[in-house]
Amino acid sequence: MATLQINGQTMDIGEVDPSTPLLWVLRDELGLVGTKYGCGIAQCGACTVHLDGAPVRSCQIPVGNLTNQAITTIEGLAAADGTLTPVQEAWVEIDVPQCGYCQAGQIMSATALLSQNNSPSDTEIDAAMSGNICRCATYSRIRQAIKNAGAKMTGTAFYDAAKAGETA
Amino acid sequence: MKLIKNDHLAPELPDFFQDLVKSPKMDIGMPDVSRRDFFKISSVAGGGLVLGLSMGTSSKAKAQSGAATSTLSPYVQIQPNGRINLFSKNPECGQGIKTGLPLIIAEELDCAWEDVDVIQADIDGSRYGAQFAGGSTSTPMNWMAMRQAGATARAMILAAAAQQLNIPVSELSTSDTRVVHATSDREWGYGEFAELAATMEVPAPDSLILKTRDEFKLLGRRFTGVDNNDIVTGQPLFGADTHMEGMLYASYSKCPQIGGRALSFNEDHIKSLPGVVDAFIMDENGSPKAFNPGGGDMFSGVVVVAENTWAAIKAKRELEVEWDLSNAEVASWDDLVARAYALEEQDGEPLMINQFNGPGNPPTQVSADKGDAESVLGNAETVVSSFYEYPYVSHAQLEPETCVAKYENGSVEIWAPAQIPQSGESGSAVLLGIPPEEAAERVVLHQTRIGGGFGRKLANDYVFEVVAIARRMEGIPIKLQWTREDDMSGDYFRPGGFHSYSAGLDSVGNLTAWKDHFITSTGDDQAPMTSANLTPGVFPMDVIDNVKLTQTMFHNAIPTGPMRAPSSNAFAFSFQSFMHELAVAAGKGHVEFLMNTLGEPRLADPENPRSMHTGRAASVVTEVARLSGYEQGANEPGRAKGLSFYFCHSGYVAQVADVTVSANKEVKVHKVWAVADFGFIHNLSGAENQMEGGIIDGISQLFNAKITFENGVIQQQNFHQYPLVRMPQAPELEVAFLEPEEFSPTGGGEPSMPPVLAAVTNAIYNATGERIRKMPLFESGYKLV
Repeated sequence: MATLQINGQTMDIGEVDPSTPLLWVLRDELGLVGTKYGCGIAQCGACTVHLDGAPVRSCQIPVGNLTNQAITTIEGLAAADGTLTPVQEAWVEIDVPQCGYCQAGQIMSATALLSQNNSPSDTEIDAAMSGNICRCATYSRIRQAIKNAGAKMTGTAFYDAAKAGETA
Repeated sequence: MKLIKNDHLAPELPDFFQDLVKSPKMDIGMPDVSRRDFFKISSVAGGGLVLGLSMGTSSKAKAQSGAATSTLSPYVQIQPNGRINLFSKNPECGQGIKTGLPLIIAEELDCAWEDVDVIQADIDGSRYGAQFAGGSTSTPMNWMAMRQAGATARAMILAAAAQQLNIPVSELSTSDTRVVHATSDREWGYGEFAELAATMEVPAPDSLILKTRDEFKLLGRRFTGVDNNDIVTGQPLFGADTHMEGMLYASYSKCPQIGGRALSFNEDHIKSLPGVVDAFIMDENGSPKAFNPGGGDMFSGVVVVAENTWAAIKAKRELEVEWDLSNAEVASWDDLVARAYALEEQDGEPLMINQFNGPGNPPTQVSADKGDAESVLGNAETVVSSFYEYPYVSHAQLEPETCVAKYENGSVEIWAPAQIPQSGESGSAVLLGIPPEEAAERVVLHQTRIGGGFGRKLANDYVFEVVAIARRMEGIPIKLQWTREDDMSGDYFRPGGFHSYSAGLDSVGNLTAWKDHFITSTGDDQAPMTSANLTPGVFPMDVIDNVKLTQTMFHNAIPTGPMRAPSSNAFAFSFQSFMHELAVAAGKGHVEFLMNTLGEPRLADPENPRSMHTGRAASVVTEVARLSGYEQGANEPGRAKGLSFYFCHSGYVAQVADVTVSANKEVKVHKVWAVADFGFIHNLSGAENQMEGGIIDGISQLFNAKITFENGVIQQQNFHQYPLVRMPQAPELEVAFLEPEEFSPTGGGEPSMPPVLAAVTNAIYNATGERIRKMPLFESGYKLV
């Protein structure tokens, strides 16, 4: 019986077809439905999760290829008591989501970027986020949220949550 | 500028909604929140004193134990701890209505937004009237009803407080979810009066005193989405997230050549595949080519039911189906393009429109023409003629069609991300042969958050499909999941079309005559396909005296339907690019030419209060020009601004784009300014979001969106063949709203999008001198960078 390391826990995935993309194991077998299906061919980024901290498209990873890598999904970001990460907080504060369907993938890509570089330039944001489509086109708020989250993380920039929306 | 007052003007329902919004459970009008029968029914169900959330359980018992929730109206409940439940009636597809409607209730209820929990209402037309997301109508249609819902509950709380405290109601006021007695400097939470309030007489709507705008504490400010926390933590919200114990997963495969019917398939092989539970042909009656989301119609195809989504998709890929193509579509886009250009110099048939003759009388077909365009053109100082083309476009909402249903003992329960869920309900009843009078009991639909609509989920085809599968798999909950390929090839597309324009300018460069030969598609050889018709009320046709419209319809039944700003999303490109051509030909600045064409402030059609007001139009044009510095300074080589204005869905929007065009036709859109008049803006963050999204949606379509078909087969399957704008291409945005005090809110979801199309092409003209008359731009060698 196969297991996966997801969000710090060992999860039993039963006798699943090893060709099944991680995306569908998360959604159908484990009930972790925050990770979304958008295209199935790594074009839209809605299924982005972290594999050992790096953003990957879970629709392209057969579960049989996974061994002991640490998988993080959108459900694994916030603390157990519900405290949001700076990225999640920034997303809420400046009201990024419209339909919201792509935002888990966007947040996973942004979180990976900021874990390597907490004050990314616009060009670096472009590069890190270009694999994620937002059909509602919330891009300008995503860019601002990434900058706000970086400021929260470094504590070096003045950051006023109450005014965060004013810059959106 | 004198503006007319339209505070109680209900929005005009788009034509297609007239047929779609019909449900055995629903009464089209908005039920009065004070309606006695609602309270009567609830009282019976709830046991008399306190009306609980679960109508079937004994709320009275809970009330006695002090743990009940008090229902004041279909929209307002007060929890025992004093927190307020507000019910949001309409589907949420990213337009922000789940935040916007409850905000309006909360304002008149006079409660603190922090004390509110928003609950998505179930589908129940008897309580909520029409529940749908389309036509940018949710806010204007519900503005007064939501205010009255809040004010009604507030009045009942005050009446209860007066009785309970034995203080005259005239001495009591409210503030931030509290009843205040200023004389004695005391205050109490609403929760203390909730039980009694639920038994109070419901005040008549005309007895309610609504706040004036200067009394608003919430409305007009910036509020973030009520589901944001759940979205950023990945909680189940969307249709795709619905899970039920014992659920099986289905895929559904239709004929690549649209309209083909499944005859047989490799059934033994498919059924032998691991994880496959069943596989069968589904061939319900229905016209696969017509946009008919309300009728329970379905396409023919092959269903695979499996233990999980992957097994259903994997088996789908191994299907070998024999199709009956005798009635399948054979149209090819390239043929239509060639035939259209051959008609460039000709007129079509006179364009006839329906003149309505009052309820019960059939409409009369009348000419859409005004004045005498031919003779005015004959005498014009200058005549400008141009031919414009735009393609079929797919909605490409990010959540592919999905729905869950369980059928048992003749009844069905559905969990649907649907823009017109009431048509999903009524159509499911038709499909299952349930008589309308039993539909309310036997068809129950729960609305989920929608992972993007843009008009695609106005159609309920995927709802009917899963209902039919669930009937076959009786007793088992079924989740239907379309693949992206199913979605892109199975859309109700934004129709492509062509306009051959001629316009006349007089000796001082004023627009005097307008002629348009519109070339479109028809499935029945009687009328254009859905959203493929030309309406004469479009600017500038609505304000000039001499208009001649003709039409040619090609037989082509590739399915079409409404997409964000239907018709306008294409017309705005060609009409407002051509208007800029005319301004250039007249030797006038674009703003000056628009102002001259708009003329004196007035309603374009004095008989129609919903027609464009030229004064409001002029205001947004003037303001966007000022904000963007449109007319100031010389343009740099290869860099220029372009402007465009459009009026639709009661919204006035002007936009300016600042672009650089490189020698190899790479286009950078640096920034877009937008100024809109949507009347009063009640949630600034939501309104800005719609505008920001609409602008980039338009840019995405302008450069890259094109669906083609060959012999009835859609040629694009996924995002690698249908690219959308990504982060590096997204411009900087600046949005402002004009809010004339005389006007109530309109919706911003749709009017935000159309103008940017021509703003960008006009900017490219100003930068390069090259006029663009064909979407998408990649076909003319342009690349968005």
